[in-house]
Amino acid sequence: MVELKGVAKSFARRLFVQNRSFALRDINIAVGRGEVVGILGESGSGKSTVANIITCLTSYDGGSYRFKGRDIASYTRKERFAFKSDVQIVFQDPYGSLNPRATVRGSVMESLILHRPDLGRRERIERANALLEEVGLSADAGDRYPHEFSGGQRQRVAIARAIAVEPELLVLDEPLSSLDVSIQAQILELFVRMIRERDLTIVFISHDVNVVRLLCDRVYVMNQGAVVEEGFARDVLNHPQNEYTARLLDAVY
Amino acid sequence: MRVLRRLLSFPKTNVERTAIVLGCLILLLALVGAFLVPFDPMKIDFRAKLQAPSMLHWLGTDGSGRDVLSRLLYGARLTLASTFAVIIVVVIIGCTIGIASAFVGGAVDNMLMRLADIWLGFPPLILALGFASALGASLEAAIWALIFSWWPNYARLSRMVTADILSQKFIASADALGVPTHRKVLHYVIPNAMDVMLIQIALDISAVMLAISGLSFIGVGAQIPAPEWGAMIADGRSYVSNGWWIVLAPGIAIFITAVSFNVIGDMLRRELDPTSRRR
Amino acid sequence: MASLAPPTTDRPLLEIRDVSVALRTGNRTMVAGVSLAVRPREVFGIVGESGSGKTLLTRTLLGLQDDAYVAGGSVRFNGQDLPVNGYANKARKLLGHSIGFVPQDPFSSLNPSMRIGKQITEAIYLAKGWPMGAERTREAAIGLMAEVGIPEPALAFNQFPDQFSGGMRQRMVFAIALAQDPKLLVADEPTTALDAITQRRVIELILDRSRKHDLAVILISHNLELLRQSVGRIAVLYGGQLLNIVPSGDIGQSTIHPYTEALFDCIPTREKTLADIRSIPGEPVGAGFGLKGCAFASRCPYVVTACRTTDLPQNAGTASIFSACILGRGVH
Repeated sequence: MVELKGVAKSFARRLFVQNRSFALRDINIAVGRGEVVGILGESGSGKSTVANIITCLTSYDGGSYRFKGRDIASYTRKERFAFKSDVQIVFQDPYGSLNPRATVRGSVMESLILHRPDLGRRERIERANALLEEVGLSADAGDRYPHEFSGGQRQRVAIARAIAVEPELLVLDEPLSSLDVSIQAQILELFVRMIRERDLTIVFISHDVNVVRLLCDRVYVMNQGAVVEEGFARDVLNHPQNEYTARLLDAVY
Repeated sequence: MRVLRRLLSFPKTNVERTAIVLGCLILLLALVGAFLVPFDPMKIDFRAKLQAPSMLHWLGTDGSGRDVLSRLLYGARLTLASTFAVIIVVVIIGCTIGIASAFVGGAVDNMLMRLADIWLGFPPLILALGFASALGASLEAAIWALIFSWWPNYARLSRMVTADILSQKFIASADALGVPTHRKVLHYVIPNAMDVMLIQIALDISAVMLAISGLSFIGVGAQIPAPEWGAMIADGRSYVSNGWWIVLAPGIAIFITAVSFNVIGDMLRRELDPTSRRR
Repeated sequence: MASLAPPTTDRPLLEIRDVSVALRTGNRTMVAGVSLAVRPREVFGIVGESGSGKTLLTRTLLGLQDDAYVAGGSVRFNGQDLPVNGYANKARKLLGHSIGFVPQDPFSSLNPSMRIGKQITEAIYLAKGWPMGAERTREAAIGLMAEVGIPEPALAFNQFPDQFSGGMRQRMVFAIALAQDPKLLVADEPTTALDAITQRRVIELILDRSRKHDLAVILISHNLELLRQSVGRIAVLYGGQLLNIVPSGDIGQSTIHPYTEALFDCIPTREKTLADIRSIPGEPVGAGFGLKGCAFASRCPYVVTACRTTDLPQNAGTASIFSACILGRGVH
C-alpha cells in the first residue's frame, strides 16, 4: 500500500537554530495492506519525519512515494484531498493535537464534514457519538472541551477523529509515549481491538522496543536518518543482525 | 449559560466589580444618554453662562451658557462611538494583515512585519498629529489619523498569535484531514486567538479614547461646539478660575472611563491569558 | 546482582515515619502517612504514575519544593533527627553535604553560562572548603568527570554545557552530586529525557558508583521494569499514599499489593506477549485525592466495601517489606 523508494530529505541549516530532526537518507519502506508495521528509533532518528512524509504533511527532496501503486507526485488537487481520507495520523501529544475551542464531538465531526458531505447533520452527530463510544468514551463526553479530559481520554478522541473518515492506513506517531503506564496499556488494548475489528493498515512509530514487539508484524529500525535493519518483528527484535539494533535491544529494560 | 457563568466568575475584587458596573453604566449612558438630556447641548444662552452647579443645571453651564451635563451625556456617545469606530477598523485591518502574513509566511511575512515595525517606530500621537493637521482639524480627521497609526499593533499581535497557533499539533491534524485555509482561519485560528485579541482590545479602549480626547484637546480633533470630552476641556481651560466645573466634569468622565476599561482589560488578561492558565 | 538483596543488618541511613506533605496554599495534604527506611549502601526505588506524589515527596524531603512543606511525621537521616519546624532549611544543609541530588531535566539543571569544570570545582569547594588548593581541586574535578564517563575530561573541563548531549550533561550533574562524596544519592527520573542506550549507561553508572563507594541510592521512576532490574526494594506510591514496599524479585513472582501487581501487568516487557498485558480500568487518582481509605479502591479488582472506609494501614515499624492492602494481599 505504501512504497517509499530512496526517499531523502534534508533540512536547511539555519544559523543559531538547533535542528533536532536528522536529514533522511535513502529510505525504503514498503507497507502491505492489512499489515502492522513498526518504525523503531530513538529521538532524532528521523522516524517522525517519515510519518509526516507518509501522511503528506511534509515534502521530501529525493526518491518516490507510491500510495496504492500511484506516485503521489502525480496527484491532482482533488486526489490529494481524497488521499487525506485514506491516510490518517495520531500524534504523540494528546494535549496539543485537539482544537481547544472545539467540543470533542466537534473535532470528530470535522472529519465527517470535510470528507462525507453526503451525510446530514443528524447522521454526522450519530456517527460521531458512535465513534466516541467505540473508543471508550461515555455518551455525554461529546459536548465537553479537550481541557476537561485527561491525556488518555484526549488520545481516545484523537483516535476517534482519525478513524472517522474510515482510513485504510493509520499512522500512529508515538501515540503512547506521553501517557501514564496504566493508560498506555488501555490505549494499547484499544489499538489491538481496532486492528481486529476494522480493516486497517497500521504504521506504528515508536521508540519503545517492547511495545513494537507486541503490536507489529514487521519492523524497520531507524538510526540517524537511515533504516538500519528491517524484517519480521519477531526476528529482528529477538535476533538482531545490525550492530545498532543489538545495542538498542540490550539497553532496553 | 456556560459562557455567562464563566464571565461572572472573572471579577475577583471590589475594584473590578466597580469597574465593570461603571463600564456598563458608561456604555449605557452613551447609548441612551442623548434621550435623557435636560437641555439642548448645543444651545447657546449667554444669559445663563458660567452658572455653578445647581438644581436646574446639575453640572453647571459653560462659558457660552450650554448645559454641561447635557454636553457630557452627548459627548459620551460621540467619544465612545469614535473610540469604537477606531478600534473596529483597526482590528479588522490589523488582523487581516497579521493573519494573512502568518499564513503566507516567508518573504511576504518578513516584509509586512518589518513595515509594521517601522510604522511603530513613529510615536502614534505624533503620527496622528501630522496626519490630522494634513487633513484639517476635525473629529473625522482624528479618527482617520488614529486608524492610520494604530493598525500595526494589531497586525503584529495577530501575526504572532496566529504563528503560534499554526505551530501546534492540532493544525497538523487539520492538515492531515485536508482542512481548507478559510476553514482553518474561521474554525481554528480565530477562536483560539480571540482571548488574546479581546485582552488587547479592552486595554486599547482607554488608550484610543485618551488619544481622541487628547487630539481634540490640542485642537486637531473635534472642534467646539461639538460636545467631545477633550474639546470640552480645551474650551473650559480659559474659565478654570471662575468655572472649574466646566473642565472638571469631562475630566472626571475621561478619568473614570479610562480607569474602568483599563481595570477590565487587566482582569481579562489575568483570566484569559494562556500563559497564566494551563489549557 | 548480589547487591540487589536488601541488606538487613545496618541501621537505617534515612528513616521517615508517618510523613505527610501539604501544599502551602490551602494546606491541602498531598502525601499522607509515608513510613519507610533506606539502609546504607542500599539501592532503593520509588515508583508511581504522574500525580502519585513521588516527586513532591522526595523534593519536599530534600527541602527543594518551595510550595510544599512537611506537615507531620518524623525524619531521621544518618542518626540525626530533622524537626518538622524549619525542616526545609535543615534538609537543604544536608543536601549540600551528605545527600546528592540528580534532577529530571539534564537541560536546565546546569548553568549554561559557566564552564563545566567551574561548576564541578565549585561543588567540591562548597562541600569541602578549599583545603587542597586550586590545582588539586581541578585534578579532583577531572577525576570525577572521568569517573562518570565523560570522555577527555581535561578538555571538557573548559567547555560549556550546551556543547554536550543530554546523556553527557546528566553525567555532569551526576559528577556535581558526587563532588561532596554524599552518603545518599537521590535521582528523580534521571533518565526519562534520555534515549534507551544512554539511559542504561547512566543507570549502570549510578549502580556502579553505589557498589564501589558504599553509596545509598534512591531511584525515582515511573518505569517499574527499569526499577525491577536495577534496585533491591521498590516503594510504590499511588494517589499520595504508600501502598507497597516490595523486594524487586517478588514482582511477577509472589503475591504483592494489588496495585503493584496491576501496574506490572500493564507494562510490556521482553518476555510478555499481548495476552499478558492487562490494563487497569479508569484513570489514576491524583495525590491528595481526599477520600477515606485506599486510593486504589476505585480501580482495584479485589475491592470490598471496607477498602473505602477503613484507614490505610501504616508501615509504623518501617519494616523492609510492607503492603497497605487491608485484604492482606502482599502482606508478609
